[in-house]
Amino acid sequence: MNRYELGIVDTRNIIKTLQDVYNYDFKNYALTFFKRRVEKFIINQNLKDADGFVSKIKAEKDFFEVFLQNINVGTTEMFRDPSLWRVLKEEIFPQNIKDSTSFKIWFPEVTTGEELFSTAIILKKLNLLKNVKFVASSISELDIENTKKGLLDPKKLEVNDANYKRIFNEGKLSDFFTQEGDQAFWDTSLIENTKFIKQNIIFDDYPKGIKLVLFRNQMIYYNQILQERYTKISYNGLVSGGHLIIGNNEIIDYWNSDKDFTLINKEENIYKKKLS
Amino acid sequence: MYKAVVIGGSAGSFQVITKILNSLPKNFPLPILLSLHRLKHVRSGFVEALSIKSNIPIVEPYDKETIKPGKGYLAPSNYHMFIELNKRIALSTEEPVNHSRPSIDLTFETASQAYRDKLIGIILSGANRDGAYGLKKLKQAGGVAIVQDPKECQVKTMTEASLKLTNVDHIFTTEQIINFLLKIK
Repeated sequence: MNRYELGIVDTRNIIKTLQDVYNYDFKNYALTFFKRRVEKFIINQNLKDADGFVSKIKAEKDFFEVFLQNINVGTTEMFRDPSLWRVLKEEIFPQNIKDSTSFKIWFPEVTTGEELFSTAIILKKLNLLKNVKFVASSISELDIENTKKGLLDPKKLEVNDANYKRIFNEGKLSDFFTQEGDQAFWDTSLIENTKFIKQNIIFDDYPKGIKLVLFRNQMIYYNQILQERYTKISYNGLVSGGHLIIGNNEIIDYWNSDKDFTLINKEENIYKKKLS
Repeated sequence: MYKAVVIGGSAGSFQVITKILNSLPKNFPLPILLSLHRLKHVRSGFVEALSIKSNIPIVEPYDKETIKPGKGYLAPSNYHMFIELNKRIALSTEEPVNHSRPSIDLTFETASQAYRDKLIGIILSGANRDGAYGLKKLKQAGGVAIVQDPKECQVKTMTEASLKLTNVDHIFTTEQIINFLLKIK
């Protein structure tokens, strides 16, 4: 295994460079995560060391976009944690969307798009897709482009398919994508009602009037300061009574957070914004 | 003195772990970090099964949970479990390492960075090579490297891979592992 170890001074220097040159503030990413991700990037891109990274990033805006895509952790699979998707399919979606005409669902960090497409497929099968508008934001322009194109990682087909069968008794996942050689693409009509937003880390601007926020397994890459900030942004974006779903082993636990949210499903980590 | 114990195991390690947990007293002075290979789509049941025989509480931690002595932390299914320098748990869904998520290597490596020479690392029975690299890093950081005696393992691959990579401190049977841990004050 090829390894490169980044010192703490180099790591801080890289964070400062990204802030100064591009106004992206990674200081509240979980430090060990950020360091590990940069180390991996330096090796994969043959950059030799921290200095090599800094000079190339400074010089090339396109290369900075490649870096942003590599910092982002892709969603592992479609319908990750099938039991949550069954709750959405059987309870949350039918109960909340049936009588709505523009039910807004926000994915604050859409990365490789699996959560968006999983949601769209379930809604399509429930015949509720037309009642919904998606907002998908990401720090990575390249992730947004790939998601728009419906790009699908063929390596994940097996696990995606297995998860699909844990949710649906009929039909098959391949009803929703086409394969061209070793490439696979989702049916992008599933996401034609999606507004994509390229997002800076600090989220000065965020969508409002949201009924559901799906934000699973992304805040684990932030420290507690940024976790709290993102949770509060989700709160502000949500309507009263709207839902926030975070990853299985995440928790909303900032000062007075119980005044903002009620945990309504402990197994699946579904929170509800309190009436304000 | 020691500050933490980290244990890695895969096929054939479940009974060994339960035996160890069953033998430790309620007031065991260190946290125990457990990185065990498990079925990724089966989320519940494992922590409960380990808890039945354990005298210390076993949890699947939340991201950024503070590590406390006398408690066991089991890597949740389909997540890597890292130890941050400030002795908190950090979870991750980054790509599998050696086809494994959780990766024993990654838990051992980050625990070594956090606890340096105050760490005890134990590799148990298992069917792949995960953990060997992590145990090497642990030893390099000054920790105590222990491997379950391959003669006793249901599956030897993991312990033998670890022994090949690292000059370990002890090759122990389950009984000897327990006796070693019981002497920790």
